[in-house]
Amino acid sequence: MLSHIIFLGLFYTVLAVLSTTVALSLYRAGQDFRARRAEAICWHATFPDLPARDRLCRHEFTGEFSHRLCDKAFDCRECQQHAALVARRPPDAAPTPREADVFGLEFPLDRLYHRGHAWAHPEPDGTVTVGLDALGARLVAEPEAVVLPAIGSHIQTNGAAWHVNKRGAHVRILSPLDGQVVATGGPQDGWYLKVKPDGGRLDARHLLRGPEIRPWIAHEMERLQASLGPADQAPTMADGGVPVNDIAAAYPEADWDAVCAEIFLLP
Amino acid sequence: MPNADTQLMPRGVRRSTPRQFLLWILPWAALLAFGVYGAGLCLVKGLNQTHMDNRFAFGLWIFLDLTVIALGAGAFFTGFLLYILKKSELKAVINSAVVIGFICYSGAVAALLVDVGQPARFWFTFWHPNVHSMLTEVTFCISCYLTVLFIEYIPIVLKNRKLRQIPSFLVFEFELHKLMPVLAGVGTFLSFFHQGSLGGLYGVLRGRPFAFREGFAIWPSTFFLFILSAAAAGPAFILLTTWLVSKVSGKQLVRPEVLPMLGRISGVLLVPYILLKSIDTLVWIDSTSPARGFAAYQYYAWKPFGAWILFAEIVVFGLAPALILLRRRLRESPAWLLSAATLVCLGIALNRFVLTIQTLALPTLPFDPFMSYLPSWQETATFLAVVAYGVLLYSFSFRYLTLFPQEKDLSC
Repeated sequence: MLSHIIFLGLFYTVLAVLSTTVALSLYRAGQDFRARRAEAICWHATFPDLPARDRLCRHEFTGEFSHRLCDKAFDCRECQQHAALVARRPPDAAPTPREADVFGLEFPLDRLYHRGHAWAHPEPDGTVTVGLDALGARLVAEPEAVVLPAIGSHIQTNGAAWHVNKRGAHVRILSPLDGQVVATGGPQDGWYLKVKPDGGRLDARHLLRGPEIRPWIAHEMERLQASLGPADQAPTMADGGVPVNDIAAAYPEADWDAVCAEIFLLP
Repeated sequence: MPNADTQLMPRGVRRSTPRQFLLWILPWAALLAFGVYGAGLCLVKGLNQTHMDNRFAFGLWIFLDLTVIALGAGAFFTGFLLYILKKSELKAVINSAVVIGFICYSGAVAALLVDVGQPARFWFTFWHPNVHSMLTEVTFCISCYLTVLFIEYIPIVLKNRKLRQIPSFLVFEFELHKLMPVLAGVGTFLSFFHQGSLGGLYGVLRGRPFAFREGFAIWPSTFFLFILSAAAAGPAFILLTTWLVSKVSGKQLVRPEVLPMLGRISGVLLVPYILLKSIDTLVWIDSTSPARGFAAYQYYAWKPFGAWILFAEIVVFGLAPALILLRRRLRESPAWLLSAATLVCLGIALNRFVLTIQTLALPTLPFDPFMSYLPSWQETATFLAVVAYGVLLYSFSFRYLTLFPQEKDLSC
């Protein structure tokens, strides 16, 4: 009788552990949705699945590392290494030019840039205007459809801010900040969202700025050109010239879903 | 414009065209259908469709079960090394290992269902367990472990390109993945016992002195040898399948250092296994078997099971690959590495064959004849169905899921 109890007890304990594990995962997933952590979790689950070349640390662009992969899912607010590097070399206080011209793309330097090609611009009224940077705008050019969040809804850093359809590619644009949407625009307006940031001010530690823009965009252009080339051939780099306004129209043969996935960080 | 098929595939990797894929899966699907028909005959008409009888009660199916369960041990052992011992390099193959494990265990359970028969009463073993039988322990452990593998398979499926667009799936996958060490621990516990009990099953056969072994407490030595041999063969099988899939698909799936690392793990485990197996064999020759009234050489007088089989098992399929896998220079040569991994996998199959078929074929009483057994076409068809099922499930998984996370980077 004792052996029956031990034997069966052991195995029904195993079954209990297994069902508890699944139930706990379901419960925690429900909690995540209730606590509005789902967007952040989706990004954290997505990030490791991106190719290594898409996960380079921003400090590699500026030459502070010869090679370093980001392990914080592009959220520099959580990165002690980033904080230490910024403390060691604070952002240059000297006046900088108003706009950077990178490969013929305009990057106004009063804006802050997210790695997913959204920009954020703090306005005097405390809101933040969010749009698509020059490279992102040339990729989606005139989108077939734009799905914007409802006014009053909440967006989260690295969560989906809005969606765009372009030549069969369904692209979600990552949000550069946490906050509440107060107004929506569109490609014709030059901006997509106006957001009231959580806590009343924009925490921009994870956003790129100033001297980081040029090397970052140089890297992005390399990735873009590699993804535009035929899949069965070695990548070739164009030399000279500037990107056209509607890159999709200029590359009718390209797998546009793959190109957008590469640049907009879709796994 | 991406079509529905490509939209299900992982981004950044290339797969065969739908036509090529269809041509690949059709023969396997036909084989599966043929096997299901054979298995159906066995289930409907009974075990008279097989060439097994009351004396030769274990045949091709049990050999298949023991072999695939040993080869599928890569799933538990890789999970153990990755999630418990934090050997992160194994992330490169863990998904593939889980799929292989799931295929092996589900295939084994399917074959067992046909073998045991009376599928409507499958639950009897859980409701009326004979707790003194090692088979009961095996049944419980395998059922539980198959559940573990199924749960481990879920996150891989939920990361499919289409499914991951549903946020609740991705959040559930994320939360489940956080608990993977629990599943890896439970998997290791269960695997330890069922691999062991499969070996112990033979070691306790007092009426079969060829298989009977002394041991430790209630466990015969075969209990421990099965655990160790399965842990050694699992990584070798993952190595072999990864290479095979890479060749068939024409793609580099893992970084060059991953396969030699799997080979090294296999080699490191193979050495103590061969050492213990040799000691166990010597003890059996010297005392266990004579004490049961048989000199060991008598077993090998029955052809074709000569002493060569013992030599092959220990030296050709054990010592030789162990020495190859332990030498870095040889391990880093693909030809040596793959030859050694193949030998390890063949060795495990031979070991399970010897314990299943040779044990039952040998006479144990003066009036017993030497038995011979050849499986019927229904048994063979069922065996082939399990193989076809495995190839099909792996092919679909490889096409639509991310089995090798490094593939994307390597294809750039």
